[in-house]
Amino acid sequence: MTSAASGAAAPRPVPLLQVRDLGIRHDGSATATPASATFSVARGEVVLLLGPSGAGKSTLALALNGLIPHAVPATIDGTVLVDGLDTRTTPVATLSTHVGMVFQDPDAQLVTGTLLDEVAFGPENLRMPVDEVLARSEDALRRVGLWDRRHENPDRLSGGGRQRLAIACALAMGSPLLVLDEPTANLDPQGIDEVYAALGDLVAAGDRAIVLVEHNLDAATAITDRVVVLDHDGHTVADGTVDDVLRGRADELHAMGVWLPVATIAALRLRAAGWSLDPLPLDPAELRAGLEAAEAPASAVRNSVSTPFSGPQDPISADSAASRLNTEHTAAATEPLIRVRGLRTRRGRTEVLHGVDLDVAAGEFVAIVGANGAGKTTLLQSIAGVVRVPRGQVRVDGVDVARIDLRSLSRRIGFVFQNPEHQFIAHTVFDELAHGLRLQKLPADEVRERTLEVLRRFGLEDKADVHPFLLSGGQKRRLSVGTALVAGAPVLALDEPTFGQDRARADELMHLLRGLSEAGTTILVVTHDMQLVTEYAHRTIVVGDGTILADAPTSEIFADEALLQAAGLRQPPLRRAFAGLTRHPSLAGVTRLADLPHSAARVADVHTEGAS
Amino acid sequence: MCAAIGVATGIATALWSPLHGLSAAFAIPVYGLVLGFHALPGVIAQQVLRLPWVALITHALAALIASAFVPVMAGRYLMAALVFGGVQEGVSALTRYRHWETWRFLLSGFVTGAVLAVPMWFAFDVASLSPWAGITFVVAFVLGPVAWTAVGLAIGTALRRAGVARATVKR
Amino acid sequence: MTATTFDPYARVVAPGRFLFALNPLAKIAAPLPAIVLLVFARDLATPLAFLALAYAVLLAGARMTGRLVLVLLIAIPAAALLVGLGMSLWADAARVDTSVTILQIGGWTLYGGAVATGMATGVRLAAIVALALIAGISTNGPDLVRSLVQQLRVPYRIGYTALAAFRFVPRFGYELDVIRQAHRVRGAHGGRGPFAAIARWWGYIVPLLAGAIRHAERVALAMDARAFGAHPDRTERHLVPWRARDTVFVLVFWAVSAAILWYFFPWAVPAAS
Ligand SMILES: Nc1ncnc2c1ncn2[C@@H]1O[C@H](COP(=O)(O)OP(=O)(O)OP(=O)(O)O)[C@@H](O)[C@H]1O
Ligand SMILES: Nc1ncnc2c1ncn2[C@@H]1O[C@H](COP(=O)(O)OP(=O)(O)OP(=O)(O)O)[C@@H](O)[C@H]1O
Ligand SMILES: [Mg+2]
Ligand SMILES: [Mg+2]
Repeated sequence: MTSAASGAAAPRPVPLLQVRDLGIRHDGSATATPASATFSVARGEVVLLLGPSGAGKSTLALALNGLIPHAVPATIDGTVLVDGLDTRTTPVATLSTHVGMVFQDPDAQLVTGTLLDEVAFGPENLRMPVDEVLARSEDALRRVGLWDRRHENPDRLSGGGRQRLAIACALAMGSPLLVLDEPTANLDPQGIDEVYAALGDLVAAGDRAIVLVEHNLDAATAITDRVVVLDHDGHTVADGTVDDVLRGRADELHAMGVWLPVATIAALRLRAAGWSLDPLPLDPAELRAGLEAAEAPASAVRNSVSTPFSGPQDPISADSAASRLNTEHTAAATEPLIRVRGLRTRRGRTEVLHGVDLDVAAGEFVAIVGANGAGKTTLLQSIAGVVRVPRGQVRVDGVDVARIDLRSLSRRIGFVFQNPEHQFIAHTVFDELAHGLRLQKLPADEVRERTLEVLRRFGLEDKADVHPFLLSGGQKRRLSVGTALVAGAPVLALDEPTFGQDRARADELMHLLRGLSEAGTTILVVTHDMQLVTEYAHRTIVVGDGTILADAPTSEIFADEALLQAAGLRQPPLRRAFAGLTRHPSLAGVTRLADLPHSAARVADVHTEGAS
Repeated sequence: MCAAIGVATGIATALWSPLHGLSAAFAIPVYGLVLGFHALPGVIAQQVLRLPWVALITHALAALIASAFVPVMAGRYLMAALVFGGVQEGVSALTRYRHWETWRFLLSGFVTGAVLAVPMWFAFDVASLSPWAGITFVVAFVLGPVAWTAVGLAIGTALRRAGVARATVKR
Repeated sequence: MTATTFDPYARVVAPGRFLFALNPLAKIAAPLPAIVLLVFARDLATPLAFLALAYAVLLAGARMTGRLVLVLLIAIPAAALLVGLGMSLWADAARVDTSVTILQIGGWTLYGGAVATGMATGVRLAAIVALALIAGISTNGPDLVRSLVQQLRVPYRIGYTALAAFRFVPRFGYELDVIRQAHRVRGAHGGRGPFAAIARWWGYIVPLLAGAIRHAERVALAMDARAFGAHPDRTERHLVPWRARDTVFVLVFWAVSAAILWYFFPWAVPAAS
């Protein structure tokens, strides 16, 4: 993937896409994001567009095919030229034959009832003859490997499959440039692999240029030629080859809050601790190779031998912290906080969980993982009483979930739904938080006091009177956690809390959860992000086909390659890099960034990144 | 936008259909209260978007969706869409899409009720009913759409408050 | 009416069943005059005749599913009966034939004449429903939209927006489920009774509609990005043609309707009385 080199050859042709000093201000907002973006894309090139959240990447993507300003009201400064056409004066329909778009949510891109109709939709809009429509549709579907399923309803595809379909739809428009805005944000590991396999084939064919906005760099860097970085306001601050930008200016990008591949972050840590890793690795294989070739610094060896599994989130120390804080739960000594026996939950007429046994002790941080449709959500919802369960199968804090009324249950266990908007019931942030307390018939003063305290704790003081729907994505997520917590529930259950959040938000939230966990709250999390599981969870439960495939301390789960394969999971990047490292056995057990040997100066950094 | 409101109200309309049967069977004089439900799509759409044509388009979509669920009622849904949508759109057009105050919505509800009462009078042969039943019938027909218009207004206002009604260029 | 079993795109293939081979518009146009005129009919015989006609067409031309059989054999007759009885309760006793007494409770009497007018209304509504069913049972949403666009020249922008809207339906069902669960665990508006129920449903409306509208906005962008609405027309791969048989069907149906009306002439009765 070094077509960038050929792009630098002397007689440079007119670039396919030229963005110059682009500033976009949405109607009703005071500042322009992006403020001033400048870059260009040549034919056949793959450009990765990076930037902190809110830099205006999605906005920029919409401007590339004229949806801004033609369909979304906004003011534009600077120019966007596609094949020499100014997007401000050219209609979207004309531009659509030059720029194909793939958005984040696969469901929001489907219009018709079968795969074939779906792909044909674009060419039909262009009034092509039927033969041409069919020829294009067939070609596009074949290229993403969906031709054999052309008569099916798109609903029957997996998330990854639907996103491949969206790519096919964009291909069928015949445009030489493809713009993808976080195409894998909602997918499980398998879906992500599928999408990148399809993109990889496109790149190999070399006939399309791609602009890729992506937070998950671990998969994206493999196909990227060039990287463009926007800073917080949306100024272009870097534009160059992967080597120049990701390897050469990694420190700078990291400081800016731009997310890097996990392997690169790990390498930066190691460098700071005195390791010489040159060039900087971008994926686990490179990191591993780099380490095998590198000499361990004398100081670091001593440092890293300190047992990898110690730390603030160590199971044993957290347990003791929990029992310290939960002395009122005297029953905990004899019975675990959550006790599940032979749980069989039905949804409609089908049984989704087939006899699950599970104990969770007070103060534990438990992750629930598994492939799509395995039953993770159902398990979590059964424990929290969100779905009805048979009597006698789930006990939380000593009471049967099936018998207790919901108001008293919500005082024992707080549930955070995947989409926070679903659970908002009041018209202001304050009322939203106060609701749980008012249900307990607390005096107004106390309600006010406790609500304000939570507002302060979650950084929402100045939003007390705002409608919950008007908050930003990250703020909504914090509010939803706050509502689950405010009633003082000792257990918190979260369903894919990092879904649709960028990496920084995800980290911020996880730090918050870790803080709660250290203070004694029991936490259950369903997630697809394996690195996140490794970083935070004491214990991991692998669910597959409605049963528990494994239930063990996190490190043991990820040591079991056969188990992961069977459950359709992937190893987290760090483990892939470090496991079985021959030259530095001291690193072989490392799975978390926090476990890496570090110089004292970086310690704070490890724990506070993303919390900004 | 219209599509979303249309789908939501369309499904609600489909769920509402048993009440048509019930009231037709047991409580014909208050049928107007039931039928007034059909005011919702247009009122919500107009209150949220405040643009020309949204009422009719939303009504059309709601009728299509509801018919897909309850094919038996398809004809009635299309008629309702035409009458309710037509009146709502007409009243807005007469005020040149400048007035979006509550009274204007209630006025269109009132007109709709009056317009509807006439054919329904014949369909149910109200003339053959006892006089007080006939009077209730007419009053309910005027009150129904007005009441449901008020409900739709409240929903639309709540949506505006939730920041849904951002200006869009089209659709 | 569950969202899970509902696929508006499913193409009904029923070889040999002629209703499925007709243009959706033909199936709407054919019974339309009869439906409109029935509204103004007063007697019992005319609606009965049309009811028979509708049943004949359905039996001959539709695919007999369990659901259709249920509708035809139980739902419609039962509804006609119920409506008929209901209407006769409300009838003005001063203006009906009081020669036959059917029921007497205290001072209140149910006369045969009241039942007759009530039944006329019941059967009339049943006939209207059955006639509407001809199109309803044999047409899928997309085909109706296509014929509206192809024959009636309805702007395809509206038609295909409706097509996309069909996709929202299952998503709506799912979202509503989740919202209900979420509100339930948060203990919002507990309690029983109609007022609690209203308060509960009121709480679902804003999140549901707000989510739906955001979704619709995204869909609209995705459609625009694929040149939707760019040209005054678009290529049609699925033609829903208007063929000779459609014309024949409509004309025959109209002729039969006219014959029935002419034979029974329902307006002579009220004019005479
Ligand atoms: N339709 C809109 N109307 C008004 N403001 C908007 C709109 N869409 C986005 N914004 C604002 O524009 C800014 C840039 O948003 P954008 O979605 O482009 O950021 P991004 O770089 O894609 O972020 P992320 O990484 O979180 O996806 C944000 O402050 C956002 O609130
Ligand atoms: N409301 C429902 N009715 C019927 N079946 C359902 C319902 N909800 C979920 N299921 C089925 O139950 C199984 C488990 O679903 P669940 O949502 O628990 O999976 P999950 O592990 O959370 O998957 P994902 O990773 O996609 O969120 C799936 O096969 C799903 O199809
Ligand atoms: Mg974005
Ligand atoms: Mg799930």
